[in-house]
Amino acid sequence: MFRDSPQSRLFLAVLVVAAVVLIAVDARPGSNPVTALARGGGELVFAPTAAGVGLVTGPAAELYEAVRQGPEAADRIAELEEANAELESQLAAARLDDGRADQLDELLHLSGLGSYEVVPAQAVTRTTARGYAHTVTIDAGTGSGIRPDMTVVNGSGLVGRVIEAGPRTSTVRLATDVNSTVGARLEQTRKIGAVTGGTVPGGPEADMTLELFDMEAPIESGDRVVTLGSHDGAPFVPGVPVGTVDEVQVAPGALSRIARITPAVDFSSLDVVGVVVGGPEEDPRDSVLPPKPEPEGDR
Amino acid sequence: MRAAVTLLMVTVAVLAQATVVNRLPFEWGPGPDLVLAAVVAVALTTSPAAAAGCGFAAGLAVDVLPPAEHPMGRYALVLCLAAYVLALLRTNTGFGGPTGSGVSAWAAVGATAVTAAGVGLGYAFVGFVMGDANITPAAVALHTGVGALLTTLASVLVTLPVLWVRSALTESDFATIQGPTSPGGW
Repeated sequence: MFRDSPQSRLFLAVLVVAAVVLIAVDARPGSNPVTALARGGGELVFAPTAAGVGLVTGPAAELYEAVRQGPEAADRIAELEEANAELESQLAAARLDDGRADQLDELLHLSGLGSYEVVPAQAVTRTTARGYAHTVTIDAGTGSGIRPDMTVVNGSGLVGRVIEAGPRTSTVRLATDVNSTVGARLEQTRKIGAVTGGTVPGGPEADMTLELFDMEAPIESGDRVVTLGSHDGAPFVPGVPVGTVDEVQVAPGALSRIARITPAVDFSSLDVVGVVVGGPEEDPRDSVLPPKPEPEGDR
Repeated sequence: MRAAVTLLMVTVAVLAQATVVNRLPFEWGPGPDLVLAAVVAVALTTSPAAAAGCGFAAGLAVDVLPPAEHPMGRYALVLCLAAYVLALLRTNTGFGGPTGSGVSAWAAVGATAVTAAGVGLGYAFVGFVMGDANITPAAVALHTGVGALLTTLASVLVTLPVLWVRSALTESDFATIQGPTSPGGW
């Protein structure tokens, strides 16, 4: 059943050894000249292709987004069916530009509030080959001053951090990834904790989970969480909105308090993002948080 | 000619996967794997060594293209082994029709489904060995199942055309004669 010539087997063995050696070399922390060169070559092909695909599929992607995430998706589909195809595409293209402009405005507003220096970029991939890791690729790299361990934000708040930067593209690990941990601070009580992507052991099903180190700290749903910030702003600059507390889990005997966090950013419709390449002179604390909503709002 | 067209088709599959499929925001995680679907078509119509080479090259291309979220070589390893085993089974057991003649469409789709599930598990296993925190039993079950299903659906659009082009471009008049070893070549 598994008959094969020795040469063929030898060839397979060589390939397997090559793959294992590559994995071992690339899995080590720090950058490696061989893999960096290979990734640079891949990027050389990827960047123009992705830009072309973005141009061609922009209106279609915008339509897909509108249909998928609209709260009244059924009405939206009916509405779209009624629309003339040509008008539809014009409308979508216009809305795409408007939407991008709005997102850019929000981004500039946010960076202005915290006096951050940001480089705008666009997300060009959203899923990965096997779909496990929550990462996106953005169309800006070291050529724009982006380095690994820089904070990525958009108009609503924290997106993630740069884990790999090539000349023209960078890979961003989203804050919802299981491997992502962000030092966080409650906006009001200034208590610190850590926001982990996904679910922590013993915690509720969530996109993000906050572990608060102080068992006595008052915390309730609706409290807002901002980044704590790290030394020299790497990997996270302080004061960026992470999300709001959704549900606090009371677990007797736990060493920390666990709360489910609703992300400030809508990760399913990520488009224009900004990479913080320069921080403010002083810690902006909460200054980038939008004004607290009025009590007669939906909360 | 056949090799050049195959190279072109696999390259297009890799680029389409990296720039079009990966661009779509799938909320459930994985999307269809066009690269795997194309490699299955090549593996069903070539010798085990050539299939392993093709799987390795295609997998390495996926590893090299952004996003750089997993170590380079991880997908190349899994895809290389999967293509080799598939080609070996095809040449030695001759499932999906006699060796040399065309593979039936159902056999090709079935082979894609089984390979997609196997590659999903293999990729997860490599991640498990390397201590990837994303690999949990629930996540592996979900991602492998959904990924294999979507890849099987995509195989109708990828595997079957690639198979058809490759069998249409068969160069040798003796390709229909089953010999002790495959003539090799792409």
